[in-house]
Amino acid sequence: MKNKAIVSKKVGKDLSEKTVSAIAYVYMFLFSLLALLPILHVASKGVSSGEFVTAGLVRFFPRGFQLETLKFIILGTGFLPAMKNTILITGIGTAISMVTTILTAYPLSKSEFRGRKVILFLYVFSMIFYGGMIPAYMVMRTLGILDSIWACILPFAIIQFNMFIVKNYFEALPSEIEESAKVDGAGDLRILVSIILPMSTPVISTVGLLYAINYWNNYFHAMMYTISESMRTLQVYLYNLINTSSEVAMNLASGDGMTNLTSAGLVAAAVSISVLPILVAYPFVQKFLVKGMTVGSVKG
Amino acid sequence: MKQHCRQEKKTFWQYFRQNWVLYVMLIPGLFFLFIYKFLPLYGTLIAFKDYNIFTGNNPLDAIAKSPWVGFEHFKRLFSSDQFFKVLKNTLVINGMKILWLFPVPIITAILLNEIRIKTYKAVTQTVIYVPYFFSWVVIFGIFYSLFGSYGIVNTIITKTGGERIGFFTDPQVFRGMLVFSEGWKEVGYNTIIYLATITAIDPTLYEAAKIDGANKWSQIWNITIPGILPTIVLMLILKVGNILTTGFEQVLVFYNPSVYDVADIIQTYVYRLGIGQMNFPLSTALGLFNSVVALILIVSSNAVSRKTLGRSIW
Repeated sequence: MKNKAIVSKKVGKDLSEKTVSAIAYVYMFLFSLLALLPILHVASKGVSSGEFVTAGLVRFFPRGFQLETLKFIILGTGFLPAMKNTILITGIGTAISMVTTILTAYPLSKSEFRGRKVILFLYVFSMIFYGGMIPAYMVMRTLGILDSIWACILPFAIIQFNMFIVKNYFEALPSEIEESAKVDGAGDLRILVSIILPMSTPVISTVGLLYAINYWNNYFHAMMYTISESMRTLQVYLYNLINTSSEVAMNLASGDGMTNLTSAGLVAAAVSISVLPILVAYPFVQKFLVKGMTVGSVKG
Repeated sequence: MKQHCRQEKKTFWQYFRQNWVLYVMLIPGLFFLFIYKFLPLYGTLIAFKDYNIFTGNNPLDAIAKSPWVGFEHFKRLFSSDQFFKVLKNTLVINGMKILWLFPVPIITAILLNEIRIKTYKAVTQTVIYVPYFFSWVVIFGIFYSLFGSYGIVNTIITKTGGERIGFFTDPQVFRGMLVFSEGWKEVGYNTIIYLATITAIDPTLYEAAKIDGANKWSQIWNITIPGILPTIVLMLILKVGNILTTGFEQVLVFYNPSVYDVADIIQTYVYRLGIGQMNFPLSTALGLFNSVVALILIVSSNAVSRKTLGRSIW
């Protein structure tokens, strides 16, 4: 009798474990599909022939494969200048942000640094109190940098949150090596460059990526601070294309009747090609991005 | 030790002279902070002035040269229906997002933790994080392809005999679109923080529970959930603290005049008032109101978190 009870208990335990496990596998499968299928759908639409797209027959694989739409997006719609602007902003912006962030985080990571509290307060305060859209716009206008790549870089030259991630990481580094270098007469800048930074490659990669993605994806500031067509960034270009795609397609149709260039196809192709760099880079940088969410984000 | 401390005590100038390099390092950051974060604080004076952008040598100079009007703009703001509409929309939309989306990453993390096949876990994790790295414009493009009037969803609806749904134009469903697209973008990535917390739970707790005969459900209920509860509370506090400031770029990209009634939030209205209608003072007043209330919310939510959990964001 006693024996039987134990056996049934054991079976019960196995059952609950099996149930949870089964739910978990199915749930994650469905969740992954939910994330993946929309991307597949859009990518397929961008390379499917116009008749299938218009008839709504494209699901998750291309039908009537063609590259005409992609070619038209790249060469006929202002995509390349927009891409050039975004690459410039992302490259220069990330470099500036990283230098600024590291230089700021290092002194602030030293507990004995005089004035640390005041400076930290400035950064925290500016993080939680926002002067507002119009005042910021007036500053940019006064500085005369509207409609230039600098207007897209300045707002993110230092993101407080990212700086705190780096600062917290520096704080957690063992201080012995630094102290012995100091005894050997190395200056602060030298210690930062040749001792601290080599020990901090994980956090540097993480924060660098966070900055780069932020520059790459930003829409609002680019839209607000730039006016001329030649200054359009990728996101501004894409937004405009989505909203004017039906007119673009209609004009094309009345012209030389390129039937592959449908409104929906144009949007899909433009979206696909805009996220391509992120999708290509993602598998390689994923582990750094996952770390970014957990490293030093919350003060313990 | 005490002796050592006393020797270390220097005047600020002595310290500064020895460590001036550290102060020089702060300059670039402070420079940007000053220009983009603190100069605009001066700009908030626009809310208290009869601001004319052309009265000065430049837009900031014009602030000083414009006459004071006190709280005139705020009075106008608080007596307008539009103000209460956008305030309500902001709270409703962000409230709906918390209500519907907040539990999802928690459930996902708990289930993800039960997966034993490493490759399966790694692949599904990788896939569900992807949308987080897309811009709102890209997400809009994807949702337009799915839910636009000729998108795949409406095609399926019409083929099965239903009527087209204006997902982007029907005020009845538009907020749902905002919640769903937010979920699609953020939920996967938000599981990371919970997953990290679950991983840190002491595994001997589970072993002890197993010996006591606790089944999986009761292990989740009695060990996992209490283990991540502080993180859950912290995240909830942060979400509530940010209820006035989040979601701007999403709404800006997704909305259009046909859904202004249900989708126009404080920040989008600030934008249209200021940049669209060039009503700089009223726009600045609304923005300032929003910033002040948001500041109070964030500071108090942080205080709550520090008191109850001993954890804070600063």
